[in-house]
Amino acid sequence: MRAAQEAILAEMRAWGYRFIVTPTLESVDVLALGLGPQQLRRLFKFADADGTLLAVVGEKTVSVARLAAGQLRGAPLPLRLCYAGSVLSNEGGRFANRRETHQVGAELIGAGGPAADAEVIALAVRCLGAAGLRRYQVDVGHSEFFQGLLAGLRLPVETEAGVRQALAGRDFVALEALLEATPLKSAERELLLRFPALRGGVEILEAAGSLVSNRRSEKALADLARVAELLEAHGLAGSVNLDLGAIRDFEYYTGVTFEAYGPDLGRPLAAGGRYDGLLRRFGRPAAATGFVIHLDLVGEAIGRDGGGPRLPRLDAAVAWTGEGLADALRLGSSLRLFGMRSVVDTEARALPAARAWARQVGAAQFVHCGSGPQVALVGADGKVRRLPPEQVVGRIAGVRQ
Amino acid sequence: MTVSIALPTGALLEGSLELLNRAGVVNLTQREVGRRLLLEKGGVRVVLVKPVDVTAYVDFGAADLGIVGKDQLWEVEGDHYELVDLHFGSCRLVMAVPEDSALGAPSTWPPVIRVATKYPRSTALYFARGGNAAEVIKLNGSVELAPQVGLADAIVDLTATGTTLRENRLRIIAEVGLSTARLIANQASLKTRAGAVQALVTAIRTAAEIANGA
Repeated sequence: MRAAQEAILAEMRAWGYRFIVTPTLESVDVLALGLGPQQLRRLFKFADADGTLLAVVGEKTVSVARLAAGQLRGAPLPLRLCYAGSVLSNEGGRFANRRETHQVGAELIGAGGPAADAEVIALAVRCLGAAGLRRYQVDVGHSEFFQGLLAGLRLPVETEAGVRQALAGRDFVALEALLEATPLKSAERELLLRFPALRGGVEILEAAGSLVSNRRSEKALADLARVAELLEAHGLAGSVNLDLGAIRDFEYYTGVTFEAYGPDLGRPLAAGGRYDGLLRRFGRPAAATGFVIHLDLVGEAIGRDGGGPRLPRLDAAVAWTGEGLADALRLGSSLRLFGMRSVVDTEARALPAARAWARQVGAAQFVHCGSGPQVALVGADGKVRRLPPEQVVGRIAGVRQ
Repeated sequence: MTVSIALPTGALLEGSLELLNRAGVVNLTQREVGRRLLLEKGGVRVVLVKPVDVTAYVDFGAADLGIVGKDQLWEVEGDHYELVDLHFGSCRLVMAVPEDSALGAPSTWPPVIRVATKYPRSTALYFARGGNAAEVIKLNGSVELAPQVGLADAIVDLTATGTTLRENRLRIIAEVGLSTARLIANQASLKTRAGAVQALVTAIRTAAEIANGA
């Protein structure tokens, strides 16, 4: 998991995203600016000495927004920021066994429009690839498509609240019952009923476009068409689908959203989208989009993929016996100087025992330093070459090339 | 691509198999199923689990689809999609008291009424919505017994015909909910295996609507 996190952060840095450290604890009042009542309820909360209610953060976007509007107030927009760390939440119910989860995320603050949307989606996809995931797919949606549909229906207030609640709970039986009771039959109502099936390639944009007749939904479809074009230019035509029926937190997201799924995992590995309303609440109005990768799930997906996380391999293991320790330590230093990962043994071992140790630590090359002037370099094939210590580094570097 | 569907053993099994047969999804009889827990036929994998476990199989992605009573969905908060009302296996969740009890309308209830049930979440929600205080006692079976031995003032339990309640000399005083079988789907299956899963959902929806005379 550590390796996956490092690979993801390296990818984010390559895209110009700056790593920032966010706090583990926040005041509940601050978190309430960005989280819904459901999410707030799930936080682990406690009071400090003067009675202020604090919580362990359950996600980091709110903290990033606070920093962007506070400490980084002087920094020019757009800001490209990334973070990593663990978060806590009382999931309650089904996944209660996992209270602490690990997240890596990126936020692009102060940039609106399809180019910014496409950038974070492309970055998310590249990060999953960098983490070692081979099979995954990304579904891109737009929260305004749904908002437009719902507004277009002009439902009574109570019915509209019911529709939102049913959809948030993914309860289409209740949704159907609510919409059946409304007199109006329209293409837009039918779209809402078929919500989870509104998914596919670029062709669904046209199909949906012929059925909607409200500005907000039409604008959303145009945005999505542009994002799809830009993702193709990012080289991601194959792994991206469009999902007009994505059910996300419609109170929070204000534009293009996306989710990434792995094979047979049952839950999204990564999710994100545009949230243009959040920064305003911290006093620095700005467009913003970003995403979070659930590292635990990525680890699980890589395991199922059969790939297994790639552990950083050791280039050399240096063992010693008799008077060989000083030589071994010098050798270790020079190897590291040339950028090779190397481990020097902490106890004396004769050659056969040292061979077993080197296999155990999993080094590509193995050197054994004795009391004599020459050291033994053992290759992957098991052949022993006796060399002066100063030639060993060159040899190992040569093999590594 | 194999699509897996979790079916509940017990009362809903016969209706579920019949529906899948009519929908042309998979043709299995109760006898064929027998005591087996896992069957595969014509590209469909059928997983047989206890009714209360269907949502677990679907939420975790071990099954793409599931058929389950609405009464089970009331009790767990999950990440699945509830897609279709299948219109069979209907039963009512009711509140009942002993025949000789004085309890009836909410105004006759004690300040904090004690209620025994297998459905603690739905029960607590029902009383909370009505603004009544209740002490909910979770039992795992023979709920009818609770008021007769003084464990509770009332019970909240599922009934199809009311026979069991009558046999235990219990009288229904309120309806808490109405349950029928539902088709649920894993949230990721609808995306990652969209074609195959949606085709099955459509077939099942159509068969259920025809059966319901829609």
